[in-house]
Amino acid sequence: MMKDNKKLIITYSFIGLFIASCSSVQVTEEAVYSDSVQSIEVSSSKAYDTPTESKALFANATVYFEFDKYNLSTRSIQALKGVIELMKENDSIEITIAGHADERGTREYNLALGQRRAESVADYMVLKGISRSRLTIKSYGEEMPMMQGSNERSWARNRRAEIN
Amino acid sequence: MKKLLIFLLIPNLIFAELLLEITKGSDNPYRVAIVPFEGSSNGVNNIIKIVKDDLMRSGEFFVLDEDMLLSSPKAIEDINPSEWKLLKIDFVVIGTVVDENSSGLKATYEIYDVNRRSKVRSSTVYGIPGKIRQLSHYISDGIYENITGIKGIATTKILYVNELIDSFGSTYILYVADADGANEQILLKSNEPIISPAWSPDSKKIAYVSFETGMAKVYIQDISTGDRDLVLVNDHQISSPAWSPDGKLLSLTLYQDGNAEIYILNLKNKNLTRLTKHYSIDTESSWSPKGTKILFTSGRSGSPQLYEIDLTKFNTKPKRITFEGNYNAKGSYLPNNEGVIFVHRSSQQFQIALKYFDENFIRPLTESKMDESPSVSPNGNVIVYAITDDKLGMIAGVTLSGATFILPATNGKVREPAWSGFLR
Repeated sequence: MMKDNKKLIITYSFIGLFIASCSSVQVTEEAVYSDSVQSIEVSSSKAYDTPTESKALFANATVYFEFDKYNLSTRSIQALKGVIELMKENDSIEITIAGHADERGTREYNLALGQRRAESVADYMVLKGISRSRLTIKSYGEEMPMMQGSNERSWARNRRAEIN
Repeated sequence: MKKLLIFLLIPNLIFAELLLEITKGSDNPYRVAIVPFEGSSNGVNNIIKIVKDDLMRSGEFFVLDEDMLLSSPKAIEDINPSEWKLLKIDFVVIGTVVDENSSGLKATYEIYDVNRRSKVRSSTVYGIPGKIRQLSHYISDGIYENITGIKGIATTKILYVNELIDSFGSTYILYVADADGANEQILLKSNEPIISPAWSPDSKKIAYVSFETGMAKVYIQDISTGDRDLVLVNDHQISSPAWSPDGKLLSLTLYQDGNAEIYILNLKNKNLTRLTKHYSIDTESSWSPKGTKILFTSGRSGSPQLYEIDLTKFNTKPKRITFEGNYNAKGSYLPNNEGVIFVHRSSQQFQIALKYFDENFIRPLTESKMDESPSVSPNGNVIVYAITDDKLGMIAGVTLSGATFILPATNGKVREPAWSGFLR
C-alpha cells in the first residue's frame, strides 16, 4: 500500500457501477476508483517586524478568566494598568492581544470565546484612552495551552489573554 | 506583521497508522460466513480479515471465525444449507480474486441466503493493481448493502488532525484515511494548529482552519492536486467552514464585527450574506441534508446551546433546539434529517449526544470524560468523535445500534475527525 503512495497523481475515475436485477438475485459490476493524494507542507517563520525600539519597551501582561466567561476581574484590570501607562507614554507601541481557552468544550466555540476575551481587554484599553488602531486582536482558542494537563490548575492558567 | 510562507511538496513516508479495535458489537446481528477467497493474487488471504472487520465495525454483523467453518464450498451449488443452519449462519459469501495480466485485480463474489436457500447476489469488482485493501472494502459494501438494504461506508474516508509533540514544539498534520483508519495519507503539515476540517459534498475538496499566518483563516484545498486558496482575504480571523449540500456555498464564522457571527459565502462570486446578528458568540454552523436549514451554536441564552435558522423564510428568529444542561455545541444533522448529534456537557463530562426532533429529551451516546467533534457517516449509522485523555487523543466510533469501536493512535494527539460522503 505504501508503494502506491509514491504516485502523487490522482484521478477519480468511475469506470462504472451497473446494477441489474434478475429475479431476486442482485447482479452488479463495478470498478474501484483511484484515490491518490497530494501532500502539502506549510511553515510560518515567526519573525514579526515590530520596530526594535518599541519592542524594548514592551510590557507583557496576561489576564485570566473564568470558565465560559470573558469579563475582566479587578485583578485583571490591575494587570493591565502597566501596559496602558506604557502605551500612553509611547505612541509607537502597538500590541497584539491573543485570547485563549481551556481544553474543555468545542474547539470552534473556544476560538470564539478566546476572541471575546481578547476583545474584552481591547474594549477596556480603548475605554482608558488607547486607540483601537494600535491593537491587533486574535484568538488561539484551546490550541495553545500555557500548561498541559486535564485538571483545574492547568485549565485556570490556560483561560487567558496574552498581551505583547 | 510579515510572515514567510513556504510551500513544499513532501513525499508520503511511512507513518504510524491507526489500527482498528472493536470494543463492543450489537445484540442481534446478521450472522455471516465468508469462505476464504480462491485466487492467485497476492494478499488474497487478507480479504477475509478486511471484510470481516468492515462488517463487524458496522455493529450489525457477526462474521464467523474462519476456523469454525465446517466446509469450504467453491460454488453456490456446493453449499449444504443444513450445515450452515447448524452454525446459525444466515448468509454465506463465496468468492475469487485474480490478477488480470497486471492490468488490475478482478474479484467476483456471490452471496447465498441460507434461510431462503437461494443466491441473492452475484458481483464483480475490478480493482487497481496491488490495492487488495481497497478492493476488499468494495466487497464489504456490496455485502452490507445487499443484506441490510442500506449503503455501506467501508469505501468512505475520514479526515483528522494529529498533533505530534517533540522537544522543538508541535507539528500539526491533517490526514485522510480509509474509514477503518488504514491507508493514512498527509494532506497538510504545519507547525501551527489546524482545526475544523470539512469535506466538500463531492469529497474532492476540503476546507479547514489553519493558523499558519498567526491568525485563524479558512483555506480550501483540492485533495488530488494540492491546490489551495484562502476563502476570503481580510484582517480578521475566519473559522468554522461548512459546505452547503450542493457545494456552491460555504458557511463561515467571521470575526469582522468584533464578535463571532455566521455568514454564507457564495464560492463562485464571493458574495457574503450575514446570517446572525447578536452580541453573543454564534459559530459552528452546519447545513441540513437538503440545505434549507442551518444549525449553529450560540451563547445568546447565557451558555452555549444549539439553534436553527430556516433559510427558506426571510429574517426568521433562530429557533432553540437544545434545553438540557448548560453546554450543547458543535451540532450536525443526521443524513435523514430526523435529529442532530452534538457535544453535551453533563455534570463535569463532555459527551456526544443525539436528539431526535420528535423527542423532547436527549440521548447520550458516549461516556468518556472529554468527547468532542462528532461526525456522522453518510449512511447515518455511525458517529466518529474524538476522545481526549491527559496525553492522548484518539478517534472512537459509536453506531446508532450501540456498537462501539476505537482507532487508537500509536503516537500524537489525534482529533477533529470528519467523515466523507459516499465515494463508491
